[in-house]
Amino acid sequence: MLASILASGLAVGAIYALIGITYNTMFATSRVMSFTAGQLGMLGGVFGSLFMLRLGWPPVIGLLASLGACALIGVVTEIVAVRPVLKSLEQHLYVLSTLALALMIQQVTAIEWSTEPQPFPKLFGIGSGVFDEKFWLPLVACGLTIAGLELLYRKTLVGRAFLAVAEDNFAARALGLPERNLRIASYALAGAIGGLAGFAGGQLLLAFFANGPLLNFYGFVPVALGGLGNNRGAVIGGLALGVFQQAANFLVGGIFSSVAVFVLFIVVLLAAPQGLFGAPAARRV
Amino acid sequence: MIISRRRFTKAAMGASMVGLARPAIAQTEPIKIGWLAALTGPSSAPGVGFNRGVIFATESINGAGGVKGRKVELITRDTQGDPTKAVNATQEMISQARVHAIWGPTNSGESLAVTPIMARAKMPNIHPCVVDSLIDVQKFPNAFRIAPSNTQWDDAVRNYCLAILKLKKVAVIGDTTGYGVSAVKASVAGFKNDGAEVVYQANIDATQPDLTPDLLRARNAGAEAIVIWSVSTGMEARMMNTRAAMGWDVPFVGHPSLSSGEIGSLIDKPANWDKVYAVGYRSCSYGADGKLQGRNQELVERLAGKVNLSDTLLWWVACGIDAVELVAKAVETRGSSSSEAITGYWNSLSKYNGYFGDYSYSPTQHNGYPTADVVMSAASSAKNGAFALAPGYSGGR
Amino acid sequence: MPDTSQPTIHSDAPADIGWRVVLPKVLPLVALFIFAVLLPLTDNEYWALITTRAAIYWVLVAGLNLVVGYAGQLAIGYVALLTLGAYTTSVLAAGNVLPPLPTFVALAIAAVAGAVFGVVVGLPALRLRTFYFAMATLGFATIVTQVALAWEGVTGGGIGISGPEMPAPFNTAWGFLYLCLALAAMVTWATSNVAKSRFGRALIAVRDADVAAEANGISKPKLFVTIFLFSGAVAAVAGGLFASLQTYITPDAFTFELSLLFFIAVLIGGRGSILGPLIGTIILTILPEIAAPLAAWSTFLYAALLLIIVLAMPGGIAALLDFKNRKPLQSDRAIKPRPTLLGEILKRSGAGRPMTLKGIVLTFGGVRAIDGLDLNIQPGQVHGLIGPNGSGKTTTLNVISGYYAPQEGEVRLNSPLARGAPETRAGHGIARTFQTPRIVGEASVIDNVMIGGWIEGQSSFVETLMSLPRHRQDERSLEAAARLALRAVGLEELADVRADRLQHSELRFVEIARALMLKPAFLLLDEPAAGLATDEIERLGQLIKEISRQGTGVLLVEHHADLIFDICDEVTVLNLGRVLANGTPAEIRVHKEVISAYLGA
Repeated sequence: MLASILASGLAVGAIYALIGITYNTMFATSRVMSFTAGQLGMLGGVFGSLFMLRLGWPPVIGLLASLGACALIGVVTEIVAVRPVLKSLEQHLYVLSTLALALMIQQVTAIEWSTEPQPFPKLFGIGSGVFDEKFWLPLVACGLTIAGLELLYRKTLVGRAFLAVAEDNFAARALGLPERNLRIASYALAGAIGGLAGFAGGQLLLAFFANGPLLNFYGFVPVALGGLGNNRGAVIGGLALGVFQQAANFLVGGIFSSVAVFVLFIVVLLAAPQGLFGAPAARRV
Repeated sequence: MIISRRRFTKAAMGASMVGLARPAIAQTEPIKIGWLAALTGPSSAPGVGFNRGVIFATESINGAGGVKGRKVELITRDTQGDPTKAVNATQEMISQARVHAIWGPTNSGESLAVTPIMARAKMPNIHPCVVDSLIDVQKFPNAFRIAPSNTQWDDAVRNYCLAILKLKKVAVIGDTTGYGVSAVKASVAGFKNDGAEVVYQANIDATQPDLTPDLLRARNAGAEAIVIWSVSTGMEARMMNTRAAMGWDVPFVGHPSLSSGEIGSLIDKPANWDKVYAVGYRSCSYGADGKLQGRNQELVERLAGKVNLSDTLLWWVACGIDAVELVAKAVETRGSSSSEAITGYWNSLSKYNGYFGDYSYSPTQHNGYPTADVVMSAASSAKNGAFALAPGYSGGR
Repeated sequence: MPDTSQPTIHSDAPADIGWRVVLPKVLPLVALFIFAVLLPLTDNEYWALITTRAAIYWVLVAGLNLVVGYAGQLAIGYVALLTLGAYTTSVLAAGNVLPPLPTFVALAIAAVAGAVFGVVVGLPALRLRTFYFAMATLGFATIVTQVALAWEGVTGGGIGISGPEMPAPFNTAWGFLYLCLALAAMVTWATSNVAKSRFGRALIAVRDADVAAEANGISKPKLFVTIFLFSGAVAAVAGGLFASLQTYITPDAFTFELSLLFFIAVLIGGRGSILGPLIGTIILTILPEIAAPLAAWSTFLYAALLLIIVLAMPGGIAALLDFKNRKPLQSDRAIKPRPTLLGEILKRSGAGRPMTLKGIVLTFGGVRAIDGLDLNIQPGQVHGLIGPNGSGKTTTLNVISGYYAPQEGEVRLNSPLARGAPETRAGHGIARTFQTPRIVGEASVIDNVMIGGWIEGQSSFVETLMSLPRHRQDERSLEAAARLALRAVGLEELADVRADRLQHSELRFVEIARALMLKPAFLLLDEPAAGLATDEIERLGQLIKEISRQGTGVLLVEHHADLIFDICDEVTVLNLGRVLANGTPAEIRVHKEVISAYLGA
């Protein structure tokens, strides 16, 4: 019983963590929290199912195509909903523009894909019970993503440029870094990470249009708990949230588990608005 | 929103004028049927199925010259299962389109909201929604149910578990939607009332990824059958997969969606769908001989090539046909499309031979579907939208 | 430009002008209302239903408009309050917990519950910003429905509950329509009163210039609680009416799409407007009826509308209707202050006490931004504060204003001032301007100036809602004072122009006019001459000097050495957060260390 809670808790937790990283990656170069993060997760599952089941492509191609398609959606997000409102960041118009885009993505998926959950294929067929691939795939994906990002940020020039832009936008531009291209690249990267979350969690969450808002919220909780821009915090927060949620599901039943998660979210945020591992507030005057 | 001069005068001149004008028009005026359908959105599968039957019936009637020279005109509104949209659409049909009868809506949440509105307007209404309180001849004398009520579904499931499978310990599981919560409650009460032991009951979030804990608890509690009340095919498929992974062969009995075609693609292997029994109907079930009853066998042949049955359920289509025909028959028999004529005709029906069932209504009983015709069917046996009877029922009807 | 030598020509005939301003704003509302009232002539209950629905939605949106449109809080999940109101009214009217109550009593109780819950939903806004708050309200919307589902004994769970029945004469479609129209008219009137009051101006100040709002004594928590109480109450009333209109409610009636409709209605209408969101509500209620074949795409349409609004016309319908602000402004205008008017504005009796800073230490991380600073600012004098970049000048202003709480030391004015707590400073008569002007661009110049009179207002929120005499008195005196202040700084011609159409230099004078509204004992000016032309600097100098002559102590942070040496009575030079030198301009001019450290060769 405990094993089952842990397995499913860590699995969904890893998906939440990946969505959290998606939020963070977009935020890093643009200071924008985008409502499309959860939709990218949803699309990862839908594209995977579309490519592999409906079109019959092999898993590797299906994975690459899904990530590519999601990266493209990420870039579209940047062009349509982020870039036009960047100059008025203070007015927080991005909340509205990304919300609008997210809703459009969801609605088109509902109409063009299906309003019923669609199956997602098995990839390897390795493991059973609590070691079923649907449980460990998200964890592996999360681990790979973290490792990949570390490599990118530490070892490559592009990665360092990312960090520079994330640290100080103006200074980075003054240094001659192609800030706009880096931003587009980071949205593509975020799209791919979100897509990977949905792809790896496809067998768990199925290819279902309504997963978007769900992932939006549950992916945001680890960001809020772990502190904005803090990937490590997002992973810890995500895994903790997943286990908490599954335990709550088990202990207080399905109806009250979402209430429990929400109460936890509000209480923590009110107590520590910057998150548990977050940075102190910026100066206002 | 423009106030036309004609309508303005009509209103101003009062009812006498209208009263005079009516009979003259009535000979050629089409019979307008309002059709409140959830055609898109998350709970649209039944609406889509009904709609095929509705269109088929309308075209058949009109193709044969209509009802005493009057064509049947459909006024369809897609409510998306949203009660708010349903309320707007209903009022539009009553006041704007001035329909003669309304068929639908197809979801209980919508129906609960619009039934009082139709009652106020004395609008003849026939609908397939299951919530018991929707039928009340005192409050809603114009509302008729064409499908079984929740209680009838419950009875069928309970009867199958207790009388046919002869099991005494059941677990009752639903999802966390409004329907799931109330259905579990009613079902549990019914089982307890009949002396059965409900060893486990739960409402599960349909998005919960792993259902092992719940099924483990049901097994540990000694459940001999799992009764499922949910419209979430994703959750139901997960339950079937989990049951297989646990190596447990407990029967699943419950909601019609257990037999939905979606499940077939969501389960890990086809065998996981065995020993699953969903609510079904004798009229749309294959007997031991693998045949439908005479009239419906004919219908399926008639529908072949015109209406796609492979991705829907036969009973939805049959029910849609019956609904339109019930209105048409009323006008034909009584020679009028007035509210009194239509409800009067329906109230007089005894064993009206429809495709979906033999309906009987009286001024004091508007639940017209015969309980004995609600049966359990083998969930994985779909063929042309119809199912094989679950094991244990006597004879091929 | 009028002759500057005539000090008093204003203004006891605004009533006449007032109507000319007010009528075009009121006329569309009245027209809509009359149109709705005449609907029964159609004898078509369908239109009664749609109009009633629009009226009910508007009751909610009118309140939400104050939260979203005025206070700028992104409350996406307001359907939660509609749900709460609908269930509270229905449950109480049905007698599920108490004996059945009359519908109107149930509605009143729902309003109270809605007010309380409105605060609960809204409170996170005090700590959480934008996206966080949006998510929190969304979460609330979800759990309210979950609770309605789970609490079956009371709410009927998934089966739902009958809506309350209205007593005669409101139990017919037309009677109910009139009831809802009356309520809609009332909330329109009440929220217009709020919008045109110090509360409305305070809300947009918090939205677009929260730092300036605090400096003017506006306490965000108190203000927000008031607004959330009000909007929660009307949303719950709307919920009760909604339940009655629906005749029966189940949790699935309260969709996210509905929540979105409310939210987008405000944004389509335009922030900071009443008429705009009203039109937005009407459009969004009718749109799905006209576009019935597009039902499946309705959410998509809402979203597309939202995106277009955000990207193409952030001002919404209100901006389209704002013909007044499209007329080009005079291009060769000049700012000509009239210092002679200052006596009338700053009627402070007697000389006050000095303000003293003692041993102020403020560290950021490990850096000592201010390192044991002592400062004495005398009333009636201009005190210059100069120093190289990073020497702690603006930081000193921020300590005095309460934005920073120093680790050591205190700021005294008679008694020590509260550490931090910027919203308390206005009460002590400390006003200030900012390096970058903190102005509400979308509000008119005079509204911006009137923000400065926040603490002068006497009228309570309830009095304001109902436009009681004290509110009208407030408005009259505030407006008169603001016009006077604008005349004093020389901007009265631009009083009714939207502030974001002004030039940068003009905004600096608007800020000074706003500060004057406080009749400040001390005025802190942060680089007021930055970006000004030479002649403007000269006039600014005169104005500042004249302000000090009325008894106000001025603390002037400035880079323009000429201005400092021209008008200051005393100058303090800062370096690395410490006082480098202090004295008269003449003394500073020849101070060796100052010359080498700062003034340069």
